[in-house]
Amino acid sequence: MTQNNYDAIIIGGGHNGLVAAAYLAKAGRKVVVLERRHMVGGATITEEIIPGFKFTEFSYVVSLLRPEIIRDLKLPQHGLKILPLPSTFTPTGTGDYIAGWDDHDTTRREIYRHSPKDAEAYDEYSRRMARLAKAIKPILSILPPDPTSLHPKDLMGLMKLGQFASTLTEKELYGLAKIMTQSAADMLEEWFETPALLGTKSASGIIGTFLGPRSPSTAYVLLHHYMGEIDGAFRAWGFAKGGTGGIAEAIASSARAFGSEIRLNATVKQVIVKGGRAVGVALENGDEIYAKAVLSSADPFVTFLKLVEQKYLPEDLIHAIKKFRTRGSSGKVNIALSELPNFTALPGENILHNGAVSISPSIDYIERAYDDAKYGRFAKEPYIDMIFPSKIDPDMAPPGKHVMSCFVQYAPYDIEGGWDDAKREAFGETVISTIEKHAPNIRRAIIGKQVITPVDIERIAGITGGNIFHGELLLHQLFFMRPATKWSGFRTPIDGYYLAGSGAHPGGGIMGSPGKFAAELALKDGI
Amino acid sequence: MNIYDTIIIGAGHNGLVAAAYLAKQGKKVLVLERRDIVGGQVVTESFGDGFTVDSLHAGGTLRPDIIKDLNLASFGLVVDSVRKPFISLQPDSNHLVLDANPAKAVESIKRFSEKDAANWIPFLNFMDKVTRFIHAANETIMPRLPKGFNFSEGVDLAKMGINLRMMGGADMMKIIRGIPMTADEFVDEWFESDVVKAAIASLGIHGFTLGVFGAGTGYTLMHNWANRGGLSNVSAQGGVGKITEALASAVKSFSGEIRTGAEVKRILVDTFTCKGVVLTNGEEISAKNIISAADPKHTFLNLVGAVNLPPELVWNVQSIKMRGSVAKVHLLVDNIDAVVAGATHASPLPATFVIAPSIKYLEQAYDAAKYHSISEKPYLEVTTSGNVVSVHFQFAAYKLKDGDWKTEGAKVEKVAIETLAEYFPNLKSSIVNTKTITPLDMEQTYGLTEGDLNHGQIMLDQFMFMRPIPGWSNHKTPIDNLYLCGSGVHGGGGISGASGWNVVKVLK
Repeated sequence: MTQNNYDAIIIGGGHNGLVAAAYLAKAGRKVVVLERRHMVGGATITEEIIPGFKFTEFSYVVSLLRPEIIRDLKLPQHGLKILPLPSTFTPTGTGDYIAGWDDHDTTRREIYRHSPKDAEAYDEYSRRMARLAKAIKPILSILPPDPTSLHPKDLMGLMKLGQFASTLTEKELYGLAKIMTQSAADMLEEWFETPALLGTKSASGIIGTFLGPRSPSTAYVLLHHYMGEIDGAFRAWGFAKGGTGGIAEAIASSARAFGSEIRLNATVKQVIVKGGRAVGVALENGDEIYAKAVLSSADPFVTFLKLVEQKYLPEDLIHAIKKFRTRGSSGKVNIALSELPNFTALPGENILHNGAVSISPSIDYIERAYDDAKYGRFAKEPYIDMIFPSKIDPDMAPPGKHVMSCFVQYAPYDIEGGWDDAKREAFGETVISTIEKHAPNIRRAIIGKQVITPVDIERIAGITGGNIFHGELLLHQLFFMRPATKWSGFRTPIDGYYLAGSGAHPGGGIMGSPGKFAAELALKDGI
Repeated sequence: MNIYDTIIIGAGHNGLVAAAYLAKQGKKVLVLERRDIVGGQVVTESFGDGFTVDSLHAGGTLRPDIIKDLNLASFGLVVDSVRKPFISLQPDSNHLVLDANPAKAVESIKRFSEKDAANWIPFLNFMDKVTRFIHAANETIMPRLPKGFNFSEGVDLAKMGINLRMMGGADMMKIIRGIPMTADEFVDEWFESDVVKAAIASLGIHGFTLGVFGAGTGYTLMHNWANRGGLSNVSAQGGVGKITEALASAVKSFSGEIRTGAEVKRILVDTFTCKGVVLTNGEEISAKNIISAADPKHTFLNLVGAVNLPPELVWNVQSIKMRGSVAKVHLLVDNIDAVVAGATHASPLPATFVIAPSIKYLEQAYDAAKYHSISEKPYLEVTTSGNVVSVHFQFAAYKLKDGDWKTEGAKVEKVAIETLAEYFPNLKSSIVNTKTITPLDMEQTYGLTEGDLNHGQIMLDQFMFMRPIPGWSNHKTPIDNLYLCGSGVHGGGGISGASGWNVVKVLK
């Protein structure tokens, strides 16, 4: 069966694929999204794994979704509702806790309880981070130029970058240079001394990376998360109504409203290339679909090495993609609970259950967890970031019952001996016994659980290596080097074939920018 | 009335290079050295009968252009033209011998991987380009951001940029990408054998408190390679001390003055202008300019004093990461030939041996430093000179969690000997004398804050225009007439002498 009536085919119905589809459809193009699974969302899904309990299976919070995308695609009209996550609660492991709030003064008072010095530092720290985040944010919207190219387009890009740099003060420039290169631990230890505060803050520097808080360049990842914004408000993390699946559904609904078609259970086997141009795709079931352009929101490895024949690609690009680091480092444990965990540091159900609970008593605690992973083991005492979606959105669990989402690091994709059921079980057990140390009732409260390893992320969400960012946010994998030098511009060596996933600039998280950029470029190229 | 144009604090190689250039220009120069001998880190010392060693650095030399400019050959400096083979010892005796002769190295690499062997010569060619780039970068004075685009500084930067661009887009990009990489990733771009990768990656952590999985060790690998001109050092005949002796002779021949046993206590500052120095014996000496070759932390916090500095700068200086984790273990043996003859490998001396059998081994050695302890299975680089075996030991953290350096030196010595004895079974019975230099000794004897050989770690946030601190990468300081020229400034780290040379250009 052959069809030849699309302007663009989008491979993958994750949030980036859907964003690309929506923008193209909005511009009047005829678009089809091809999703391998029975549902849209990719790694941005909510599923009822245990009857009555809805799990945000993979990604669980939202902060980076670009406000212009929310506006352009009218997402609130399509059901997007972001509920605030007002706090972070960290048991210190010594019977006490430290909490952070979405209100500066409340947080400051709480820090003061632990260290007056840290409380004072916190004022200036917050100001600086906010300034830096604001300073760096425009980079997210700049298409990376190639600094080695003498092409006018790139020289213009460099000039734009220079113009941007000249708007920054000397202090901001150095601050930026430092934060791009430092370790999260080195940066934070310049400011604070309270171990649990340091631990919790440094944890933002390691999420999704295969690095420890003492690894240089993790401060950037911290800032990347700090840039989180919802509707333009800085530093607000949120939970989407209905879980992160609610976001994908809102974007899908928007795309459909603009006229985009979305096909489920449609696995793309190969991109069809004719005369050096992508002209369509062949599906696993033998169908062929033709279009003027193909946008892949799959990761770079799949996009370049699996979906197209290598003869169409230059040798150095193939080499670069093979070396592109996509080491998954995190797992998820999603749990259905009969009651909320009762934390010994703050007994009873309380307002902190509305926010995140972080098992990160110190920097060294997290660093040791990383040490396990770098030698091929899952962390014996992992860093865990928990939220209780049912507390924020009661529809997520039956009345009186709860769901709990635990993001766990580190769980290396390349575990010694490979992942199997026994190891997955042991990993889940490690997570539960780690939580049990802080909330002894957890074990008896468990109704059921789902343990997701990086291998499961790869298998279910189709992300190579199970890396939640489609490729680690390492310095040499950012900006004009993401995913490869010379090919950071969403275009590929094959005309009409675009990379539209998190493996492109500016990277992962539920941001939507790569999808938007790729769609805009495709339109500019005249599809 | 100033008798001196310039006082230089510290007679290490950088201080002496600066002094020699200035004296050669006819300036009236005084070098003040705390110790009774000149040389700083670059010294050859005697620890007993027949026990003369290069205390901290087992080789290395100044940039050839400096040697030529100062005509150091005429002051007795002879640099070996032969580069020692670099031998990575393996537990199974299947050693990797990276000879300076590429063809021989290729033969040895073949035993581990045919593919790696084929990549060796292209890799060497690439590293030649890297070396050219780093030399160009090191002779460029790093301007302040973003005020650095004045004409004179701009020309230097442009030259560096052109140098980089001349390598062709592909190689330029490879170098740029290599800078933030980990040493592991850097070598992984070229090689597949863990043995080959680890041997080369060891250069990325040599002298630094970072693991091969640490971002930026791609740069430190290139930095060490460029300074050495290859995997192993070339050496000055008679030891590294000959380098600083020749420099001192040059200074004197240009009528410069050097005083040893003269420790500077304070730099005299009056409203952000320095007037001179006061020595520990109370003597005051004034001069128009003061150049400190001491590390930036010592210079700013101890010699200038926080009260004389802007608070922001004090905070930045306090934040400089000084993290010594190198110890030296020197072993005098009664018969080096017998030690070598009994080894698990056949190799004629001289050679540079490394204990860096795998990437994981190197990273594990570093884990100890992270938690402030001493590696049980250390990364070692070993050289011999006469009957002395010199061991560069990593990692031994300056700040120990348990115990202190008054006693823990014995542990380092024991671990070093036990580790080496696995490869040189005759070693233990042959030892007649030992001398261990701990990170604390490096601070107390050699004046290196926290035992940091580089006067501040070379990390991505502390290199180029971030070195030693943001805003002051151009050798200047907020104190008028006070300049920096030690390893803590860009160009520094290693024995190249570039930062001592650069300060002279700034003074002009």
